[in-house]
Amino acid sequence: MGIYDNALTTDEYWYWITNIKGIENKKISYLLKRFKTPANVFLADRKAIETVDKISEEDTDRILAGRDTRKVKDELARLSGKGIRFVHIEHKDYPDRLRKIYDPPYSLYVRGRLPDIHKPAVAVIGARICSNYGYTIAMKLAEELSVHGVQIISGMARGIDGAAHKGALSGSGDSFGILGCGVDICYPKENIEIFTKSIERGGVISEYPVGSKALPYRFPQRNRLISGLADIIVVVEAKEKSGTFITVETALDQGKEVFAVPGRIGDSLSIGCNRLIKSGAGIVTCVNDILEELGVNYIQNDEIFRKNKIMLEKDLQVVYSCLDLLPKSIDEISKVTGYDISYVTQLIVRLQLMDLVTEYAKNYYIKNI
Amino acid sequence: MVIIFYTVITGTVDGTRAHLVNAEVDCSRGMPYFSMVGMLSSEVREAKERVRSAIKNSGYNLSPGRIIVNLSPGDIRKMGVHFDLPIAIAILRAYDMIRDGNIKDSLFIGELGLNGSIRPVSGILPIVIEAKNHGIHTCVVPVGNYSEAACVDGMNIIAVNSLNETIDYICSGQARERKVKKNYIIYDKCEYDFNEIHGQDLAKRAIEISVAGNHNILLNGQPGSGKSMLAKRITGIMPELTQKELLDITSIYSIAGLLKDGCMIGGRPFREPHHTITMTGMTGGGSYPKPGETALANKGVLFLDELPEFSPQVLDTLRQPLEEKKMVITRNTGTYEFECDFLFVAAMNPCKCGYYPDRERCRCTEEEVRKYQSRVSGAIRDRIDICIDVHRVGYDELTDMKQGESSHTIKERVEQACERQIHRYRDIGIRYNSQLMPKDIARYCKISDKGERILKNAYERLGVTSRGYYKILKIARTIADLDESDEILVKHVEEAIVYRVFTGKE
Repeated sequence: MGIYDNALTTDEYWYWITNIKGIENKKISYLLKRFKTPANVFLADRKAIETVDKISEEDTDRILAGRDTRKVKDELARLSGKGIRFVHIEHKDYPDRLRKIYDPPYSLYVRGRLPDIHKPAVAVIGARICSNYGYTIAMKLAEELSVHGVQIISGMARGIDGAAHKGALSGSGDSFGILGCGVDICYPKENIEIFTKSIERGGVISEYPVGSKALPYRFPQRNRLISGLADIIVVVEAKEKSGTFITVETALDQGKEVFAVPGRIGDSLSIGCNRLIKSGAGIVTCVNDILEELGVNYIQNDEIFRKNKIMLEKDLQVVYSCLDLLPKSIDEISKVTGYDISYVTQLIVRLQLMDLVTEYAKNYYIKNI
Repeated sequence: MVIIFYTVITGTVDGTRAHLVNAEVDCSRGMPYFSMVGMLSSEVREAKERVRSAIKNSGYNLSPGRIIVNLSPGDIRKMGVHFDLPIAIAILRAYDMIRDGNIKDSLFIGELGLNGSIRPVSGILPIVIEAKNHGIHTCVVPVGNYSEAACVDGMNIIAVNSLNETIDYICSGQARERKVKKNYIIYDKCEYDFNEIHGQDLAKRAIEISVAGNHNILLNGQPGSGKSMLAKRITGIMPELTQKELLDITSIYSIAGLLKDGCMIGGRPFREPHHTITMTGMTGGGSYPKPGETALANKGVLFLDELPEFSPQVLDTLRQPLEEKKMVITRNTGTYEFECDFLFVAAMNPCKCGYYPDRERCRCTEEEVRKYQSRVSGAIRDRIDICIDVHRVGYDELTDMKQGESSHTIKERVEQACERQIHRYRDIGIRYNSQLMPKDIARYCKISDKGERILKNAYERLGVTSRGYYKILKIARTIADLDESDEILVKHVEEAIVYRVFTGKE
């Protein structure tokens, strides 16, 4: 029977069906509804495939054209050569958390490992363009959570997502990035460091075949995996209209608990979070709020603003205490403290060298926590 | 009877250097013929027609004959229209139509109109100065250039309005009295004062340091935060110019043809070229280079607003003037050198939209911010010593009636600091801290052990580069000078660290 030889394993049939161009999750679900297994689809004749709902003539052509056992075997072998694992929905390693969601992906590509089902997982998400306040809080929360054995899941995007991964990596290292492109592509490319470190110490996961480009429609879709893999969703910063709310919605559909980090009234980056809190989301004021919900015991007696307690000389203390997580300029500091400019510059440099203060942008300073 | 040959002294400018030129005329009988030689550019050749008509229309009738004009020395390129007058005088004398009178030992410059009127020309001042150096005591110049020529002391300047008036002077030795009018002076006293700026204390302090030690400065800040306002006031706190420096600056402006209508340079220039400026506009150009913005800013301020918008090629041309304080341009006609001893002041927004790090307004990603800032090449960044943020002033500061320090007060401190530097560096031939070479830094910028520790800490923690290390030392030296302190104290080092050029988040 030539290429129709029943020479493929289950894994390979799954790989075949999830790698046909133009056939994504929705269409696969229609095919499987009719034929039950990928193997049956592989063996079905043209007429049978054509009558399946939502499958166009073009799709049929592609399905038939892709029936090349040699190619499937080669590609799959090449994947494992690159250290990329292919996990389909019937695979024993496929995360249970995902099986339960609406529209679960039929395949996952994994570099590193998948989240451990026995350990709690928290998704830390938020705006891509975030303030330093959001960035620092996301990083700190993720770090503290991961120290307490919580796995951190996020979208490996700019801003809050990146901060969450960074925090997790400086904690226990359980950092899992869910991508909107193939796992061989690092997007955005400035995240290359957390990308490679997550592969080493956590995992990078995508439902899209290797080589898939980062297309805009893929990002909202992958959000259902972020919420699906997590037990709790923490929103750190979000504007009034934000992509983050797609994740929040899927999370609520999936019955997950949503927490939000409060912000100041009037800060545009906190409008979204404050609204979530108003409509019933949990409020995060310290790591414990989340740990309690997860049923994890709080071990370390650490507060986010722990450095408040160090002893400093009076003038240094005055300058230090007027700084916070939002950048302040030297002129502002001088006005608040009443010290003249050159004295403020001296104090600021002293604090900087004590590692208490960071220059966030030219002549704008923030407190280190 | 016809005198066969006659010579009149005039001058020309080649790049920034003035040379004396002899206008030689040889007349003989023969077929009517008029020829000019002596490495002339086309506008000099056209003198032929202007001179002939002007002589005729002034009432002199030249009988037809062979006229040969030679402008010597022949190996210097002659440019400009100011050879008309000396050529006309030499021809009239060669035809024996006027007396020898006061021609000998006088220098003549001027463009002729067809009716015999004399028009002002550019480049007068350097020629008159050169004449004085050669022991010439009298210069005949167009009326429009009188005040410019008159600033050379000890030179007898005769201002003339027409060819006939010139001839009257030659014959009688009497010139019409004319008043030196200095009605229009450019860059006189800086018209803006620092006391008009409310708030911005950090920026003012940084600018004071920058001027005191001649450190190039970059003002980084939001649109509308007052970067240009601050920059425009910088010349007002720079030390007074000496008479010699004023003449040097005026010479350059004279060569560039920017001194028409009797206007004068009264103080330090403030040049503010637009970011669309071309390379030749910046360096000076043409096959016979005219001074560009870098040369025109000599002894003053070159202010580049919106620094990242300038083309990278244009910015790259600034390397040499920033490093060596001069600009050397080589063309097939020779090498030209312009002095470019200016304070470099640049301004830029922190990001494309201009509001970073204010996240309420700025929508740029960190990556975009970095990209925007990296549009200023490392080569230029390396030559900037001080970098500060200029932010928008709050309403209450803006409307606060309390006046800040006046430019005059700041200037006194700056002059004091400059004197200290001149005194300290009298042996090594520099004037400012910013000019210190690494080998001199060890000698002149000694710091205490504690200061050394702070620097080491900054070097390791704050990502200070080795170049940055020297910059911090030089700036600390200037801060100490402003503080009238012979030693660099710890607080001076600490303050200097704040002004370092910032390359992104630590």
